[in-house]
Amino acid sequence: MSLDTAAPTAGLPDGTPERKPSPSAVTKALIAKAGATRRRNSAKWKMRIGALCTLLVIIPILLAQVLPLPDANHQDLSARRLPPLMDGHLFGTDQLGRDLLSRVLHGGQVSLTIGVLAVVVSGAIGIILGAAAGYFGGWVDTVVSRVLEAQMSLPLLMMLLLVVALFGPSIPVITGVIAIAQWPEVARLTRSMVLVEREKPYVSAARILGLHRIQILIQHIIPNVIKQATLVVLLLLAQAVLLESALSFLGAGPQRPFATWGRIISDGQDYITTSWWMVTLPGLVIVLMVVGVNLLGDGLRDRPRRKKKGA
Amino acid sequence: MTNYILKRLGQGLLTVFLTVSTVFILIRLAPGDPAVSYAGPLATTEQLAKVREQFGLDRPVLEQYWIFLQQLFTGNLGTSYSFQAPALQVVAERMPYTLTLATASILLTAVVAIPLGVWMSRRPDTKSEFGVNVLTIAGQSMPDFWTGIMLLTGFAVLIPIFPASGFATWGGLVLPTVTIAILQIALISRMVRREMTTNFAAPYLTVARSRGIRNSILTWRYAMGNSAIPVFTALGTRFAAMLNGVVVVEVVFAWPGVGSLIVRALETRDYPLIQATVLLTALLAVGVQLVIDLAYPLLDPRVRLGKAAAA
Amino acid sequence: MTVLPQGSEISRRRLLQFGAAAGFLLGTGSIAGCAGPTGLPGPSTLTLALNRSLVSLDNKLNQFDAAVTVQRAVRQGLTAIGPETKPVLVLAESFKMTKPTQWTVKLREGVRYSDGTPVVIEDIATALKMYQQVQGSFVAGFFPEFPTVVPVDERTFLMESKNPIPILDSLMSMILISPAAKNKPEELQEGVGSGPYMVTKFNRGAGTYSLKRNENYWGPAPKVENVEVRFLPEESSRVIALRSGEVDVIDSITPDSREQLAGLPGVVLAEASSLRLNQIFYNFRKPASHPLADVRVREALSWAVDGEALVKDVLVDSVSAAEGVVPSSLTGYSKTGSYTYDPEKAKATLKSLGATDLNLKIIWETGEFASDTSVMEALVEMFGAVGVKTQLQQFEPGGNILAWRQGKQGDWDLLGNGFSSPTGLAITMMQGMYAGTAEKEKTRDTYQGYVVPEVQAKIQAASSEVDPVRRQQLLATAQKAIWDTWPCAWAFVPKSVLAHQKRVDGLSLAPTNSYPLVDVRLEA
Repeated sequence: MSLDTAAPTAGLPDGTPERKPSPSAVTKALIAKAGATRRRNSAKWKMRIGALCTLLVIIPILLAQVLPLPDANHQDLSARRLPPLMDGHLFGTDQLGRDLLSRVLHGGQVSLTIGVLAVVVSGAIGIILGAAAGYFGGWVDTVVSRVLEAQMSLPLLMMLLLVVALFGPSIPVITGVIAIAQWPEVARLTRSMVLVEREKPYVSAARILGLHRIQILIQHIIPNVIKQATLVVLLLLAQAVLLESALSFLGAGPQRPFATWGRIISDGQDYITTSWWMVTLPGLVIVLMVVGVNLLGDGLRDRPRRKKKGA
Repeated sequence: MTNYILKRLGQGLLTVFLTVSTVFILIRLAPGDPAVSYAGPLATTEQLAKVREQFGLDRPVLEQYWIFLQQLFTGNLGTSYSFQAPALQVVAERMPYTLTLATASILLTAVVAIPLGVWMSRRPDTKSEFGVNVLTIAGQSMPDFWTGIMLLTGFAVLIPIFPASGFATWGGLVLPTVTIAILQIALISRMVRREMTTNFAAPYLTVARSRGIRNSILTWRYAMGNSAIPVFTALGTRFAAMLNGVVVVEVVFAWPGVGSLIVRALETRDYPLIQATVLLTALLAVGVQLVIDLAYPLLDPRVRLGKAAAA
Repeated sequence: MTVLPQGSEISRRRLLQFGAAAGFLLGTGSIAGCAGPTGLPGPSTLTLALNRSLVSLDNKLNQFDAAVTVQRAVRQGLTAIGPETKPVLVLAESFKMTKPTQWTVKLREGVRYSDGTPVVIEDIATALKMYQQVQGSFVAGFFPEFPTVVPVDERTFLMESKNPIPILDSLMSMILISPAAKNKPEELQEGVGSGPYMVTKFNRGAGTYSLKRNENYWGPAPKVENVEVRFLPEESSRVIALRSGEVDVIDSITPDSREQLAGLPGVVLAEASSLRLNQIFYNFRKPASHPLADVRVREALSWAVDGEALVKDVLVDSVSAAEGVVPSSLTGYSKTGSYTYDPEKAKATLKSLGATDLNLKIIWETGEFASDTSVMEALVEMFGAVGVKTQLQQFEPGGNILAWRQGKQGDWDLLGNGFSSPTGLAITMMQGMYAGTAEKEKTRDTYQGYVVPEVQAKIQAASSEVDPVRRQQLLATAQKAIWDTWPCAWAFVPKSVLAHQKRVDGLSLAPTNSYPLVDVRLEA
């Protein structure tokens, strides 16, 4: 999707000369320097770089099973801690002679699955509760807002560690925990947007037409705010991946043999002075991926909404 | 005004109370037995039973909760199992270290992020700004434990300029502070940029500019003046969140603060210590939040306290 | 909304005033609460970094290896476990068995606490009582019964018991003596001891202790004037702290850290055998129909474990494979056999026994022994090679592994676990692990359900035998009997490894993973 939108935008500056020349003091150079143009270009480049970084990580992760890589769990005790590029190990090997690249890619599958699932769950909860709070107001709003506020003052990471300890470190639990950590952001945003949307004429119109309140909310208001909300969700995906790796680092990651990114890094931490690659490379993969997603989200947000204006 | 403060105070205390209660129940539901950590793996069932009796853990959870509440109002949070000292005292001994780290980090953040954000807002979407923008995105995309390990390897092992752990000299403060500040600078500077950009586009600024007011005054007095509240709020909220323990960074740098204490307290299931930590950090966090709220009308005379709560 | 310059001027001033006021409030509030650095030790200070927080210098509740060094520098017992894992005399001048149920002890002349008061017989009697009364005591489990103290003269007393305690001299090494009036049935946080050092400052929260030379010490004066004890939980932090010269000694280091530190200029490694046995122990609570209940299956599974590769590659020669049921450094050890690697034979035997579809669950707690996860992940591969499927379940410290071990939470097949004998005696470990009875099994207090009455009877016989020669024979037969039940798929004895700066001298690491601080010197 990102590539589709990037392509036409890319053609625009070159497209300007094709327009019929009109007598104007606004030269091409001035247009190119204009804030709006710069902003559009900046958003365009953010999306391009973001998409590139994200795909650079995601495609190999998706293809991990197909790529000609050694099995992530295959040990070769005679080939322990080989530096990168040795014996066909692009990222080197770990303390048990397992191929680090393969482990990072397979671990990425787990980390990403958790991230995506968590974001879907938190997005759903956040949008539903946020919309309900914003639209219905009254006690619904009070309850949701108080819970939001209370969660902000909680020692978040500690609570997450506790909950993981409570229910055991399985993938569903960790997904749920991350979703719980993230829903407030979506809920707050949705609530504020619904508050604005609620006062618009089309809502009154729908009400006069005799639609049920819930129907108005679901059929009319939510479709109008969901696009904005999903943008935030994309940024949350980046956070979810970071949060999962922090939990794994503190020992609350999914049970072995799932090698998530955080666990690979914390396992490699003990070898930091002799085998730099065991921490550095998996970390760089996380950074690349998260930077990509963040840039993409940023670019999408900054992108001028041309279609709306045209309509 | 007084009413408002009292109301906010009440809400804050209620939040703290609910937080502590939630934690109280959660840790008792979680698997693991403090008696085992206390008496060691060789203890017999009979010995464990005696230890549980000594801690009052053999009573029903509700009764334990009732006792806890009674003690809470006398300021007694019980004796830490592993430290054999009043739990509050153990936390109070650690708190100054976390406070030092949080203060240093927030100061560094403010000093770097505000000028950086202003700089970015004054030349939006130029090439240099774009570069810095991408850098700030990278800053918020790095897992803090990874950043910490990388800084540690770089500046304590390869080029040993700073101590690697603990707080023996002021130098020990540098690496953990920088680790925390990297993320915070990224977040705050982007926020400053956003706020400033909004203000630069506001009509009042156009009017002011048309009156020939100097650019520096426009930036610092007008735009910054109006951006101060959200930025100040964000800094305060970040600071409050850090008091909940900068868990990961404290673990990586063996910082003798509350964050590393809580990880240990969780490991030994030291209930009184966990409760004391949560109580103290939640109180501090709520207190900071309250100060920020009260400072609102001071910073911006347009804000009236009673109304701020309704928004 | 239109902001007039005049109006903005006012709002700006107020903004500045109030902003400054609020900032000042918040700032002073937090800065006043801040802490300064803890300070660097001087050149005449020895800095130790422990991997666990030393919450007290007493050992009534718990004792971990690294604490012993510091504990014994401040408080002492009548005896101590010496370099040969035999008891040596400390506060006692003589410690002799005069009857099967009676020992005669004479206090050393002139032993006194750091405040100058003498160590008296009443202190010993009180100490025994306090160790007995404390809940969840670490020490009490090792005493079959607590002896009573009967004073004879100023310095001589008898220790009497109902049944013979032939190992009392070793056991008494764990009882630390404090002045009777100040001793309590809990971990003492303060108070004096008779050791070569005394505590000047401590912070339990941070796990730091400052020790200073005890000028009143009854023995030869220690050479180092000050000792700082720090707590650095992360292995990598400790290694880096040693490399950068922040600390002088780090102990209990893992094989990987040893590899990193070996050959570094200015760093010296010291190693000793240890009193610990780490095992991959079978679950003995399986129903009789389960393959693991069959000793032949247990033996066959042990052939699947490539012990040599584990020792050499995974644990990088920091351990030695066990050749008996207790570490060879323990007094009373007897060699019973060794683990062999023969995957083909393992496969064939398992097949002939009908145990072809095994699916084993291995459980352990993080940090149970060094490189634990690597060992477990290597085991998965090794068992997989003989067609045995395995599943790993790792518990974080503080979790409920005990409930699992006792079979109350879930079923498991193999447990990664360590057991150590702080008395330095083989019998202590054998009693702790293999002397389970049906009675104890009712409360699940046996070692992973190991209840073999013949073995238990043999251990019982050895433990009460007073004659040393006869005792050794009984111990040897008991160990052989245990070995023949194949309790572990593999077992190994870790070495105690310690690293220190070159300027530290005179540090002699004992198998107890501790060293006498009194002998340590610092070169200029």
